[in-house]
Amino acid sequence: MGFKNWLQTSFPINEEALVSISSEPIPNHLKRWWWALGGTPLILFLIQAFTGILLIFYYVPDPDKAYESVKYITFTAKFGWLIRSIHRWASNLMIATLLLHMIRVFFTQTFRSPREFNWIFGVILFLITLIFGFTGYSLVYEQMSYWAMKVGTGIAAATPFIGNWISDFMKGGSEIGQNTLTRFFLFHVVILPFIAILAISLHIYLIRTLGVSTLEFKRDVNEPKKTFPFFPDHFYTELIIVTIVMAILITLALLFPVSLGEKANPNVTPLHIKPEWYFYPVFRWLKITNLEVGILGPIFFILMLFSWPFLDRLFEKYFPGKEIGFWIGAGGLITINVFLLWEVFGH
Amino acid sequence: MERRKFLNSVAIFVPFGTALVGFLGMGIRFITPYKREVERRIFTIHLDELKLNATQQFQDLRGKDLMLVRTSDREVKAISTTCTHLGCSVHWQADKKQFFCPCHQGIFDTNGKVVSGPPPRSLDSYRVELEGDNVFIYFMDKPSDNGI
Ligand code: HEM
Ligand code: FES
Repeated sequence: MGFKNWLQTSFPINEEALVSISSEPIPNHLKRWWWALGGTPLILFLIQAFTGILLIFYYVPDPDKAYESVKYITFTAKFGWLIRSIHRWASNLMIATLLLHMIRVFFTQTFRSPREFNWIFGVILFLITLIFGFTGYSLVYEQMSYWAMKVGTGIAAATPFIGNWISDFMKGGSEIGQNTLTRFFLFHVVILPFIAILAISLHIYLIRTLGVSTLEFKRDVNEPKKTFPFFPDHFYTELIIVTIVMAILITLALLFPVSLGEKANPNVTPLHIKPEWYFYPVFRWLKITNLEVGILGPIFFILMLFSWPFLDRLFEKYFPGKEIGFWIGAGGLITINVFLLWEVFGH
Repeated sequence: MERRKFLNSVAIFVPFGTALVGFLGMGIRFITPYKREVERRIFTIHLDELKLNATQQFQDLRGKDLMLVRTSDREVKAISTTCTHLGCSVHWQADKKQFFCPCHQGIFDTNGKVVSGPPPRSLDSYRVELEGDNVFIYFMDKPSDNGI
């Protein structure tokens, strides 16, 4: 009995199944880069897992020590600055590519039946990514981290009905302190990754079983085959994207390495306070509305996102051909961008 | 037979469900922090040290800032510097005689009343007591949440 036979007996592998799983036919339009956008956040997620696990080797989740440990990572540990910079930049790119992916799905209307659930898992993934950003930012325990936690838990507390419970749950006490940092750390490195992996798996499972929606472009009509195999064609495309993404990350990290602000001071809010860019629209919204409207706005927006496939169907049913969904989407996108720019240039 | 099957599943699922609810409930109770507050009275300042309409920063026992304002001859206000909007700490701007919150640009006057911006209500104030010329405040002390 040769080695191969022995392995086949003790660790049976169904080669046919392997081939059929890996060479799933993919519609031609996916050759366009614009359609490979869903894969990019996944790549970035893996990069986050890798750099994040490295960071845990030195990070200490204690309000008195967290800042010093990040300082050590940034200025002393070998390649620490690079690992931290890549982790920070990849988080930004992940959100940017997710936004592009969502915009592409939205305007090509591929969230429509039977892909409602995939849209919903997508929205969950998007929210989780935002929470990743928020909790990660807080872990550094610099001034901006502390005040982001403060405003974040404040927003949670102002949510109707369950707000107080959520805010206490986040803080783990009456003030931001050790329990808060422990909880944020736990979410950032254990609970959120777990949920994210679960949601990504479901998302991909549905893509595989329902298939990617087919769109035919004029230029493709004359091509002899309508599909190409996942392996190796699409796999190679993804490898090329991985390489490009890594190159972009290294470049960004070299040109704009992360810095470290002042250590958190619970008594003094800095005069110039801004969250990360992806929270700018909400931040501006909070400035121009009163507390209730300020909180209800984002909640309403999230509910809209979740129910979008069903709302869209209602619009189509009652106003066929009027493209109401498209106009709401376009209007929303423009509004969000205006708020974002307003926050960039206003004060 | 049907009845027996039904009873079987009841016998399995009721204890299982009870155990599950118990476990989850235990977890939720465990991660929900205590709400414990003790009222304490602390000395802050002597009236002579605070001129009429002057302000003085002070920290309570937990290290939180508050602002003492002498509003009339025998009246002192102790205003919390925690913004009532989303909890940032406000800055006292002596030149404009106002509190300014940098987070979403809330502005409060010397008495803590909202002048402009998104804050929903006046700044909280501590209960003040004058004993002779000594100014005392009452504040809610919140003990540590994990025993450290
Ligand atoms: C970690 C986050 C995410 C990962 C890794 C991911 C991954 C993917 C991948 C690989 C595809 C295949 C098609 C393509 O490349 O466009 C896809 C499709 C899809 N994604 Fe995502 N995605 C994520 C987040 C989202 C979000 C935030 C949404 C929307 C709110 C979303 C909605 C969809 C939908 C509806 C499809 C099916 C599109 C079709 O069949 O044409 N996804 N996703
Ligand atoms: S927290 Fe003070 S204005 Fe928002």
